[in-house]
Order: sequence, then structure tokens, then C-alpha cells
Amino acid sequence: MTQLDRRAFLGAGAAIGISALPGWALAQGDGPIRIGILIPLTGATSQFGATMSQAAQLAAAEINAAGGARGRKVEVVIEDDQSNPEAAVRAARKLIDVDKVVAIGGSYASAVTSAIAPLCWESKTVLCTASGADSITKLPHQGFIFRTSPTVTLQGTRVGDFGVELGGKSMFFLGPQTPFAQSYIDIISGIFTRAGGKGAGLIYEDKKASYRSEVDQALRAKPDIIVLGGYVPDTAVVLKDLYRAGFSGKRIGFSFGVNQKLLEAVPPEVGEGAYSLVPSASLSAQAYKRLVAKMKVEALDTYSCQVYDHVNLVALALAGAPQAAVAGVTIKDQIRNVSQDTRGKVVDSAEEGLKLLAAGTRINYDGASGSLEFADNGDVKGVFFRYEQIQKAKLAVVKVA
Amino acid sequence: MLVDVIQHVLNGLIMGAVVALPALGLTLIFSVLGFVNFSIAAQMTVGAYAGWLVNSHFHWPLIPALTTAFAAAGLIGVIGDRLALVPMRRQSTAHTSLMVAIVSIALNLALENALRFGFGSDLYSYDLPIARDVRFGDIRVGPQQLNNLGIALIIAIALAAFFSATRWGKAMRAVADNPDLARLKGIDPRRLSSLATFIGMGLAGIGGALLAIDTSVDPSTGSRLLLIVFAASVVGGMTSLPGAVLGALLIGVFSEVSLSVVPPVYQSAMAFIAILVVLLARPNGLFSGASGVRK
Repeated sequence: MTQLDRRAFLGAGAAIGISALPGWALAQGDGPIRIGILIPLTGATSQFGATMSQAAQLAAAEINAAGGARGRKVEVVIEDDQSNPEAAVRAARKLIDVDKVVAIGGSYASAVTSAIAPLCWESKTVLCTASGADSITKLPHQGFIFRTSPTVTLQGTRVGDFGVELGGKSMFFLGPQTPFAQSYIDIISGIFTRAGGKGAGLIYEDKKASYRSEVDQALRAKPDIIVLGGYVPDTAVVLKDLYRAGFSGKRIGFSFGVNQKLLEAVPPEVGEGAYSLVPSASLSAQAYKRLVAKMKVEALDTYSCQVYDHVNLVALALAGAPQAAVAGVTIKDQIRNVSQDTRGKVVDSAEEGLKLLAAGTRINYDGASGSLEFADNGDVKGVFFRYEQIQKAKLAVVKVA
Repeated sequence: MLVDVIQHVLNGLIMGAVVALPALGLTLIFSVLGFVNFSIAAQMTVGAYAGWLVNSHFHWPLIPALTTAFAAAGLIGVIGDRLALVPMRRQSTAHTSLMVAIVSIALNLALENALRFGFGSDLYSYDLPIARDVRFGDIRVGPQQLNNLGIALIIAIALAAFFSATRWGKAMRAVADNPDLARLKGIDPRRLSSLATFIGMGLAGIGGALLAIDTSVDPSTGSRLLLIVFAASVVGGMTSLPGAVLGALLIGVFSEVSLSVVPPVYQSAMAFIAILVVLLARPNGLFSGASGVRK
């Protein structure tokens, strides 16, 4: 500092300040529209992270190929929540304060979503989430949360009904501590009790090497149906311990626990026969078929489909109100106008939707994860489910309802 | 009621056996080198991946896979030690052992993420037959788990024999006791540190492979149990090898038996309460001062 005289220093400071101005101006003017995508790329819930990331980038590429939203490019900023609410909060802070995103999409694990929700509604950033816990939309979010995944109440009800349909009389739930575990126990037990059977459950720690004792406790209740509420790592261990214990009843899991990744993590005889409840677009949905073809896979999990829809919904909402500011508030007010307007023309691609909106036509976007109708509290209505079963080391669809 | 308690104790012994080997490794390294090497968790994961690679690609059975896990973890442990920890250890100030321990935490993170980078976050499974439990009356026991317990005990005994009967073992104890005096006798402390690190990390590798056989192989296999491994070592008295094994078994049994009174969510909490109680009663661990590598 001794060689630098004051004038040189002031000059350098001014130069740096001036060169930073365009960045500041762009953020409010013609730069890209940034959508934050907060997904689990690492950690216990990271099974779908890679495909969710791909789907988000694909959506942005399609929108930009169609000319962008409002003539501006859409940019997805992808951050890893590490399957950990604390890391998620830091990432959300960065997305909101540094990247100045207009919306955050992705948000998979309910614990993560619960943690970042207040940051979003306080900064008037829209949060599109793939989480299920009912408590999320009961938060005072002032309309900024849109949930594209069926609620725990709905999923629990479907699992309970399915269990009763399979002839079960005694249900036992095994799951780790999550915002929804106790809800599942209560809902599914209620269904079994009303059907003349009984239900119970226990909550275990999620990082254990063996669930022998928990399985012992479960089997003491002599269940014929065991519901698995965990994510893939702990479900893999529970299934192995159930196999070792010689449990011969039926096992039902959810798509975040019993899925293709679980299949690869356990030997075939361990997973054979386990059922999974998978939220699904109706199988004939064009958006789903096109997405699956573009990603060159046979089938795509609902969460990646939802992230794809999150990006599209945000872009379409902004394009649908070309006079309003590019901000979360606009998206919040406009999403339902582009996703569930009964007078709108049904479209299933962002490209078509953007074209029609530019021509002043109303649209009704039906996405890859479903027809995307949101209730007042942000929950999605009218979700289909696929019931799948592990048969001979592959997931086979047993029914769709 | 009694049957339940016996089942819990059995489950606890089996759970403790998985943690016993890494705890042994940690104690060994602490005894000879004087610092806590937290990268033991990453070495567990390295062992798990190494064993999985030869098992799923070359279809090697259990014992060769475990040997590979031992060798791979030991080797990478020594390399990591040389690269990251030896330069820190060369400066001897009052806080060296704490600083080296902290660098070992960084090494742990680096190794774990290198594995994540190389293998991805997916879970993999060993290609070994899963056996159903054997029943003795109302008591259930898994053959694979009994195997693990047996392997842990055999290795512990072999290690004890190594230290009391062989030249290398005695030399290691000498270095642990008084490095300068050992140098006077012509023993090279650096060679011995490498050997101690190799054996210690190799043990962690075997522990990690056994753990992965029961659960699955993924980058966090080892780090999930780091705290329990460390706690087992501390409870046993950080310089006592039998203590490490006993500490691990004790923690396992206590956390399993506590399941009959508290809900399973609090299991880890119970384990740490046990550790608290033990340390309040005997601050240096259960066996410090008893037979071990260092008095």
C-alpha cells in the first residue's frame, strides 16, 4: 500500500465500481431469468438428484429454444442440498440473495422444504416443491408455495387402502424420523382399524447399520403387512433384516424408498415382492412421453417430472403476464392462470404454451407429472398413482389408479 | 422377558462387533503415533468399496474380499498419512496432536469426496448370499453376523499376540512408550508409524467391508459410524486394544438393551449417555493403565 498513492487508489476503486454497474443493471433489466433448483445431489435422498438436474436443464433448454420467456433467456441455477436442511438453508440463501432467483424449484425431502420455506415467502420467492409432508402447506406461506407432489395424507390413504385390498389385517409401519412419519402411522393405522384390523408403527434412527431389534419389535406385533417409510439407504437395511428374520408377509413402500436405486442396492431375493406407491402422470400424458424420450430412459420417476414442470410453470407464468414485473409475486399470482384455467387451451409443452401466450391466447398447461391443478393452499389436486411391485429384480406396474 | 433381554444383548454384541475393528485401528494409531486419526471413517469406506469391487466384478468370496479391503485401506491410509499428516507431525509444538487430528478430519472429507467423485452417490450391494436367521428357541441369530463377531475376535486376539510375541510388535510398543529411547536401540520410528498406520487403517477397511455387507456400499458408509467408533475407542481407554473391543461391544449392548425401555429413535442418545457415565466414573476410559500398547 505504500507505493499506491491515494489518487491511483481512488481511480482503481471507481473503475471497479463502474465495471460492476452493468451486472447490477442487468439483474433488473434484460439479463436471463434465473430459476433456482435446489435438489439432493448427494446424501441419503440423492437417488433422483441426477435425473432431476437433467430434467431441469432440459426444460430450460426447450424454453430458450422457443425464444425464452418474455424474450429473455431462462437460466436454471442448480444447487445441492446434500439431503441436509442446514446445507439447504445456506444454498437457498445463496440462490435468493446472490443469484436473485425469482423462484426455487426441486426441493425434495420434506425436512429440507420445511427449512427453506420461510426464507422463500419472506423474500417473496416462489417455492415449487416435490415434498409430501402435509405440514408444509399449512405454514403461513401467503400463496408462495406450490406443491406438485401428493400430500402425505393422500399417499397414506392410498397405501392403507392398498394394504387392505391385498388382504392385510395387521399393519406395522417402520420409518425414520421425518416430518411425515407419525402422520403415516396414524393415517394407515386408522384405515386398517376401520377395516376391522389393527395397525401400529415405530420410528427408528436413520443411520444405523442394522435394524434387527426394530424388526424384532415389529414382528412381535405379528403383522401381515409392513409399510416402509424410509429413504433408500435405510430401507435397504430394513429389507435385508426382514429377509433374515424370515418375514413372509407383504411389504409396501413409497417411491422415495422402493425404487430402481433400491433394486440395485439389495440382492434380488431380498427385494422380491415388495410393492411401491408411485405418484404418476396419467400414462397417456404427452408431456411425460416426450420427456422420457428426450432423456432416453424407459421410465422416469415422478420427482424429475415435477422439476421439469416447475421450470415450465415459472416460465409460463411470467410469459402470461408480460406487463408485470419479473418477480416472485407475479409468478405466485399467475401460475394458476396458466396451469388450470378451464377456458384455456390445453397444452403439454412450454414451447406451445409460450407461442399461444404471445398470441394472447389462454392456456392450461398439463405437465409431465400431472395436470397441475393447485388448491388454494398450494397442494396439487387429482394425482394418479402407479402401484409397482418388484418382480424378478425388475419393477412391474401392478395397477394405475 | 428374559428372552427379550438375551436377544437384545446378542444383537448388541453383533452390532458392537462391526464397530470393534475400526475402533481397534483408531486405538492402535493413537497408541503408536499419539494422535486421533479421524480419516479412519474414510478408510472404512475405502475398504467397503475395495471389497465390493473384487466381489462384484471378479466374484471373489468373503475372505479374499476382506483381505483386499484390508490391503487397499491400509495402503491408502499410509499414502494419505505420508501426504497430509507427516508434514504436520514433523513440527513438534505443544498443540501438534490436536492440529494433526484436525488435518485428519480434512483428509477424511477429501477421501470421502474422492470416492463420491469416482463412484457416484449410488448404493451398491455385495454379491454374497444373504442367509436367513437361525433360531435357538425364541432367540434369532444371523449366521453372517456371528461370522462378523468371530472375525472381529480372531483379529483382536491375533493383534494381541502380534504385540506381545513378535519383534515388530514389541518394537511398536517401544516406540509408543518412548520414541527417543527406541531410536537409541536402532528402531526406526518412521517405519513403525507406517506399519501402525497400515495395520490400523487396514482394520478399519475390514470393518467397513463387513459393515457394507450388512448394509450397502456408498460414500457415507464409514462416516455414519465415525462418532461411535471414536466413542468406543475412548470408552475402552484410548491406548488399550482389548479396551477398544470391549468398548465397542459395551456401547453396542447398551444401546440395544435400552431399546426395551426407550423408543428406537433415541438409541444413539442412549449410547452416548453410557459413554458419559463410563467417563464420569473412569475418566481415562475403562482400561487405561491395564495391558495395552502403551501404559
